[in-house]
Amino acid sequence: MINDNVILRVKGLTKRFPGVIALDNVDFELRRGEIHGLLGENGAGKSTLVKILYGIYTPDSGEIYVDGRRVTITSPIDALRHGLALVSQNPQLIDRLTVAENLILGLSKLSLMTPIRKVYGKLRELSEELGIEVDPNIEVWKLSYTQKQLVEILKALLLGAKVLMIDEATTLLPLNEKRRFYEFMRRFTLDGGSVILITHKIREALEVSDRITVLRLGKVAGTVRPNEVSIDDVRVMMFGERVKEVSHYIGKQIFTRPKDKVVLEVRDLWVLGDHGTYAVRGVDFRVCKGEILGIAGIAGNGQNELAQSIMGLRKAIKGKVLIDGYDVTNKDVVKIRELGVGYIPDSPLKHGVAPDGSIEDNIAMLPCIAKGIIRWSYVRALAEKLISEYDIMTPSTKTPIKLLSGGNIMKVLVSRELSIAKKLLIAYNPTRALDEATAMKVRRVIRRKAREEGIAILLISEDLDEVLQLSDSVAVMNTGRIVSVIPKEKVVREEIEKLMVAK
Amino acid sequence: MHVTVIKRVKPLPFGNVLIPSLSIVIGVLLASLVLYILMGISPTQFFTYIGEGFISLETLRDFILLTILGTALIISFKGAVWNIGAEGQIAMGMLAAAYVALFTNLSSSPVLGKIMMIVLALILGGMWGLIAGILKAYLAIDEVASTLIMNYIAYYILNYLVRGPWKGKHTYGYIRTDLIPESVHFSTLPIRGITVTYEEVLLLIITLVFAYILLYKTALGVRIRILGSNPEALKVAGVNVKLLTITLLTISGAISGMVGAAQLAGYLHRISYPIETHTPYLGYTAILVAWLSMLDLRAVPIIAFIIGSLNQAGRLLQIAGVGGIAMTYLFIGTILVTFTVLRVFSEYKIKIIRG
Repeated sequence: MINDNVILRVKGLTKRFPGVIALDNVDFELRRGEIHGLLGENGAGKSTLVKILYGIYTPDSGEIYVDGRRVTITSPIDALRHGLALVSQNPQLIDRLTVAENLILGLSKLSLMTPIRKVYGKLRELSEELGIEVDPNIEVWKLSYTQKQLVEILKALLLGAKVLMIDEATTLLPLNEKRRFYEFMRRFTLDGGSVILITHKIREALEVSDRITVLRLGKVAGTVRPNEVSIDDVRVMMFGERVKEVSHYIGKQIFTRPKDKVVLEVRDLWVLGDHGTYAVRGVDFRVCKGEILGIAGIAGNGQNELAQSIMGLRKAIKGKVLIDGYDVTNKDVVKIRELGVGYIPDSPLKHGVAPDGSIEDNIAMLPCIAKGIIRWSYVRALAEKLISEYDIMTPSTKTPIKLLSGGNIMKVLVSRELSIAKKLLIAYNPTRALDEATAMKVRRVIRRKAREEGIAILLISEDLDEVLQLSDSVAVMNTGRIVSVIPKEKVVREEIEKLMVAK
Repeated sequence: MHVTVIKRVKPLPFGNVLIPSLSIVIGVLLASLVLYILMGISPTQFFTYIGEGFISLETLRDFILLTILGTALIISFKGAVWNIGAEGQIAMGMLAAAYVALFTNLSSSPVLGKIMMIVLALILGGMWGLIAGILKAYLAIDEVASTLIMNYIAYYILNYLVRGPWKGKHTYGYIRTDLIPESVHFSTLPIRGITVTYEEVLLLIITLVFAYILLYKTALGVRIRILGSNPEALKVAGVNVKLLTITLLTISGAISGMVGAAQLAGYLHRISYPIETHTPYLGYTAILVAWLSMLDLRAVPIIAFIIGSLNQAGRLLQIAGVGGIAMTYLFIGTILVTFTVLRVFSEYKIKIIRG
C-alpha cells in the first residue's frame, strides 16, 4: 500500500451529475517525478477527475491519498496545501487585475505579507525559464486565451506546487513555446515534481508522457507506457467502437477559384488592440465563394482583433471590410449577422454561449432562428439534431450547458454556428478543446459547407495542422500583418513556421 | 475545526421554495422579537394581528396590485436590469389616468373612458421606463440610480399639479384634486368589505398571461433571460442589446404605470397632496415580492399574497395604535435581510470539518 514513490493515489472515485456518471469507480496513481498523460474524448471524465483533486467538486465516493496519507480536499485551498495545483482549461483569473496582482492574490492565500518586489523577481525568473513573455503590469482582460493560460501556469509554479495538473492548457501553445514548455516540465519533474497532463491530443501525450491513463465514459480504459503502444492502440482505448470515425480523410474535391464571386474582402484594415496600439496593421485579403482561407499565426498577433473587426465588434480605424460587395466597415454586429454570417469567437464561454441557458435557449437566442413567437418544437428538433450529429453528451436539451464538460460546451457553440452560417463563416480555433473524433467531424463539416453549400470560410487557427489540413490558401499573420498568402499546393510547412515566428 | 464554504454545482434542492418560505417565517419572528424588546408588544397580540392580516378581505387588493407589480419587475429583473422605479411609474400612470378622467370628455363614456385611462397610463409609465432604458443603453447610466431618482421626479410633478393647476374646486381646504367622475370608477366586487374591482381582476389575468407568453414563448423572452446571465454572448450572436434593454424597461414601466390607473380608478378616486404618503409604497414592496419569488412567475401570486397580508397586518397594528407605517417597513426589512443571508445557502455549501 505505502509506496514511497507514489505521490498521489486515487481509489474507487465516483462522481455523478444529473443524468450522467462522470466518473465510475476510477483508480489512478501518480508517481514522483513523472509526467502522466490523462487521455480521453470530450466528456470522458478527465476534467471531472482533476476538478475533484483540486477541490472544485466533491466526489460521491472514493478515496484520495497524498504521500500515502488519506486526505479530504474540499476546496482549492486544501488542494494547494497538499501541493496540488490546477492549470485550467478556462483560465481562472480576475480580468480587471494585472498579471502581477492576480499572482499576488493567489499567494496571499498561503502566506501573508509577501513583498511585491519578490513576486516580480520570481515572475521574471520563471518567465525567462519558460521563455514566455508576459508583461506583469498588463491587465488580464487584454491577454489572449493562450497568454492567460501561461499566466495560470506561472501562478501554479509560484504557489510551489508539487503536482501540476494541466488541463488542456498546452494544446494551443505555439510550437516553439510548447517545446520549451515540455523542457520545463521535464526539469520540473527532475526536481521531484509531478505532472498530470490532460489532453485529447494522442501524439502529444505519447511524446512527452512517462505513462498514460486513458479514460472512456468515466471508466479507466487502461494505463500504459508510450513505448509499449501505438497511436492506434490508444485510439481504440479512447474511442472504443467509435474509433472508425477518426479518419483524417476530409474530402478532396479541388477548389477552383470562381471569377467575381468574392464574398469577403478586407482592404488595408487597421484595428486598434486593447493596448491602444495597432493590433491589425494594414491587412488585405479576399475569400471567395466556396473557398477556405486559413490564417496561421501565433496567438496574439492580431488574429482575434481582425475577426472582431470583421464582425463589427471592434472599430476599424482605417480600411474597408466588404461582404458580397457591400461595405460593412464598422457596421453593427446585428447587421453583419443578418447577412448570414456564422462566427466562432475566441473565449467561447464569454462571447459564444450563455452558460446558464439550455441548448435550446442558446439556439433560440439567435435572431436568425427566432423572431417574435418562438416555435419551440423547431428549436428542440434542431437541438436534438446537433446533439446526435456531434455526440454532445447532455442529459437533455433543457439542461443548463454550464453543467456540460468544456468540450461539449464547445460542441454546442461550433455546431450551432456551422448550422446557421449561410454565406460566410469566421471560425476562430473551431476545434479547440474538442477530441480527435469530434475535431475531425467539425473539419469535415467545414469542408462540406465550403464545397457543397458554397460558403466562404475564414479559418483562423493557432493549430497549424488544422490550417494546413483544411485551407485552400494559407495566410500567415505576424505582428498584425498578413506576411504571405500561399496557395495550398505550394505550401511548405517549415516555411510557414518560419514566417509565423519571424520578427 | 474549521469552516469551509464551497460553491454548489447544483443549487440546493427545493431551495426556490425553502428559502423564500424560511425567510418570511424567520423575518416575521425577528420583527416580533424587535417589537417585543423595543416596545414591549406581546408576541400573542402581534401574531393575532398577523393572522388577521391573512384573513382580512382588504388584503386582496394588495394581493392583486402586488402580483401585477411583481410581474412587471420580474420581467426586468430576469434581464439583470434592476427597475427600482415602479413607484414613479405608478405615479406617472396615476397622472395619466387622472388627466383622462378629469380633463377630457372621454370620461362621459364609461368603457372608452376606462380604456383610455389604462392606455395612457401604460404609455406614461412605459415612457418613464423608456427614459431610464435610453440612459442605460446609450450613456451607461445605472438604472438603479436613475429609476430611483425618477420616482421623486414623478412624485413632485404630481404634487406640483395637485397643488396648482389640478387643485379641485370642492376640496374643503384639503390640497387635492376633485373626485373623478363616477362613470370611470372601477366596479367593486359585490362582497362586503372587499375593495377589489372587476377591472383589476381582469388586468391581473391579462398581465399574467402576457408575462407568461412574453417570457416563455417569444424570442424576446429568451433574450431577456440570457441578458441576465451573459449579455456579451447575446451581442456577439447579433442581438441588439441596447434595444432589448430599452424594450424591457419600457414594458416593465408600462405595467407598473397601469397599476397607477387602477389605484386611481379602483380605490383612491382622487389624488391628494403629498402623493408619496397617499400611495402605500407598493412599488417598493413589489421589489420584495419579485425577489422572494426567486424570479419565478409562478411564485409571484403566492408571495404577493403573503406580503400583502403582512402589509395589511402592519396597517391593522397602525390602526390599533401600536405603531406607524414603519411597522410594514420593519417586516420588509427583516424578511429581506433574512432572505439575503439564506440565499447564500442555496448557492454555497457550508461545511464544518473537525480535526
